[in-house]
Amino acid sequence: MNNADEFIKEIKINGKSEFCIKTALKNMGITVPQSVIIDNIPEKLDMSYPVVLKVSDESILHKSDVGGVSISIRTFEELKARLVKMKKLFPKSQFMVEEMVEEGIEIIVGISRDKVFGLSIMLGMGGTMTEIYHDVTFRLIPVNRYDCDRMIDEVSIGKFTENGFRGHKIDRNALIEFLIKISSIGEAGGNLIDQMDLNPVKINGSKIFVLDAKIMGEL
Amino acid sequence: MFEQLVSPKSVAVVGASENPMKIGYAIMKNLVEGKYGGEIYPVNRSAETILNMKSYSSLKDIRNSVDLCVIAVPASLSLEVVREAIQCNIPFIVLIPGGFSETGEQGKQLEENIMSIIKNSGTRLIGPNTVGVYFPHSNLNTALTPPDRVSFPKPGSISFISQSGALGLLTMDSISDLGIGISAFINLGNRIDVDEIELIKYFKNDPKTKSIAVYLESVNNGREFYETLKEVNRVKPIVVLKSGRTASSAKAASLHTGALGTDDRIFNGMLRQAGVARAYNEVELIDYARVLSYSPLPDGKNVAIVTTAGGVGVITVDYISATEHGMGMNIASLSAETKEKIKASIISFGSAENPVDLTADGSIEAYDSVLSALQEDDNVNIIVSYALPQTPKMNMGIVDVISKYIHAKKPVIVGVIGSKLGTDLIREFERRQIPAFPSIERVVNSVRALYDYSEFRRGEMNE
Repeated sequence: MNNADEFIKEIKINGKSEFCIKTALKNMGITVPQSVIIDNIPEKLDMSYPVVLKVSDESILHKSDVGGVSISIRTFEELKARLVKMKKLFPKSQFMVEEMVEEGIEIIVGISRDKVFGLSIMLGMGGTMTEIYHDVTFRLIPVNRYDCDRMIDEVSIGKFTENGFRGHKIDRNALIEFLIKISSIGEAGGNLIDQMDLNPVKINGSKIFVLDAKIMGEL
Repeated sequence: MFEQLVSPKSVAVVGASENPMKIGYAIMKNLVEGKYGGEIYPVNRSAETILNMKSYSSLKDIRNSVDLCVIAVPASLSLEVVREAIQCNIPFIVLIPGGFSETGEQGKQLEENIMSIIKNSGTRLIGPNTVGVYFPHSNLNTALTPPDRVSFPKPGSISFISQSGALGLLTMDSISDLGIGISAFINLGNRIDVDEIELIKYFKNDPKTKSIAVYLESVNNGREFYETLKEVNRVKPIVVLKSGRTASSAKAASLHTGALGTDDRIFNGMLRQAGVARAYNEVELIDYARVLSYSPLPDGKNVAIVTTAGGVGVITVDYISATEHGMGMNIASLSAETKEKIKASIISFGSAENPVDLTADGSIEAYDSVLSALQEDDNVNIIVSYALPQTPKMNMGIVDVISKYIHAKKPVIVGVIGSKLGTDLIREFERRQIPAFPSIERVVNSVRALYDYSEFRRGEMNE
């Protein structure tokens, strides 16, 4: 399994596209959905449906705002049709086909830089909806297990640990390990990272999937 | 490091004056009326004597060693005085005047000039744009406010560092009324040299300081500030009041001190990470500093309440246990043994359940038995004891009773409501360094601050 220094090296070499970040995260032992990069409609695709189709292009930061994300694709035929449409919008780009993770609670994990305090890690409930919930908490990087434990209880994510809620459960230890890994990326990246958004991240028990990932900085 | 600042053997006041409209007069008055015991050297170009003391025409004219030089001349004249103080090897300067970076480009230039000569010298500087310093254990008061306007606290165990001068003076004035003491007050002002980080580090090892209260509008060296808080807070509890929480207040703060803003959520997370209590106003700042300075740390969050007023007890239960408008802590379930002991010592229609209600019959002796029983109950971690003046049997003797338990294992936080006997009670509790607060809300907020700090210390130990 790679460490955070190797993660940074990988991003430097391969770039900051979603696919590259996710591959580098996977090499660190962080779970990401199964995915492939395609240029054109393939002969066949060995994936379990539903899948998501996304434009894969480092220059497009907010893919869904520009029509670069298509979700809940249930058959190969449907995928082909959607790809034709998307290629018209982004004729020069590559595309990523990714298995959809349906079960789980959406959260957000991020790194951001403050002029005075440097890098901090953020944990929030609600994934892409976090801005509405205002249910977020921060710590300076690096964090230890105790910091992460406290963070989990400072947002409503803590309520899903222990016995869970209506069948949804979050494994506290798995989330702590995850947060410490992300913190270590900040530590290893140092001045090279300005921001990293893992949003949404889906948690189901001890399974933590990073569904979307962005990095900004001088990497 | 700051010994000569905190207890100087001699103080020179440049710009000392007999004109009551001048700052140099107020500072001299505060030094004299504060009964400062060291040498005082007034410096004034034209006066022979000031307040019956021989006046000197310049710092060089003094010819004895000076530990602290207070400069109370206008900004435009201050550069020369700073230079002279450096030449005289004076270790500390308090540079009072405003008119520097907070006023614009010209002031900023002047400030930078002073900064550069200080940096290359052995002299350290507080300010500029400061109301001064106050060290009650050394009877040293260089504040610029006339002593007939505001009171200064007596010697105590809280060191108070404030970026804002007026807020500091007013807070000291307010707490003086209840006899609350402090061990130091330093107004940083534009903090071109000495900053909060160095002072917090110094107070860590200052035997007179038991807790540190800090008011800030901005932080310059974020990482060092955080590391310092975390390191010192393990040994001496720190409370921070940080303004500029919203975009509009951050703008006001920036106009006030020219500060750089941080997302308040990050600042908050940083404080939590360092285990530092956050106050949201000047009352909380000193309340938390007091409870952290005076109390032993609790082993958990189960609170027992003793009262002679049912309503006060119930509202306290609400505040302790509610998660909204409350602390989210636990009301202790008393053991059968404890309840038996309590029943035996209170009137039959009182309540031996938590909150323990002694009713209007509650006597000092009953308090004694109940507090003793609660101290021995393993289900109880923190005791809130009200001392309410409305009942016939309440008197100053309650202070002796509660004093017996204040150094026991479990913290006792006292609530007093009222203004006659009530105020006397709080003053007497304060004199014995027993944390007593004049409202239910202030009691429970302080309970929470104490519990949070104990959690931090436990977490640190396990890490």
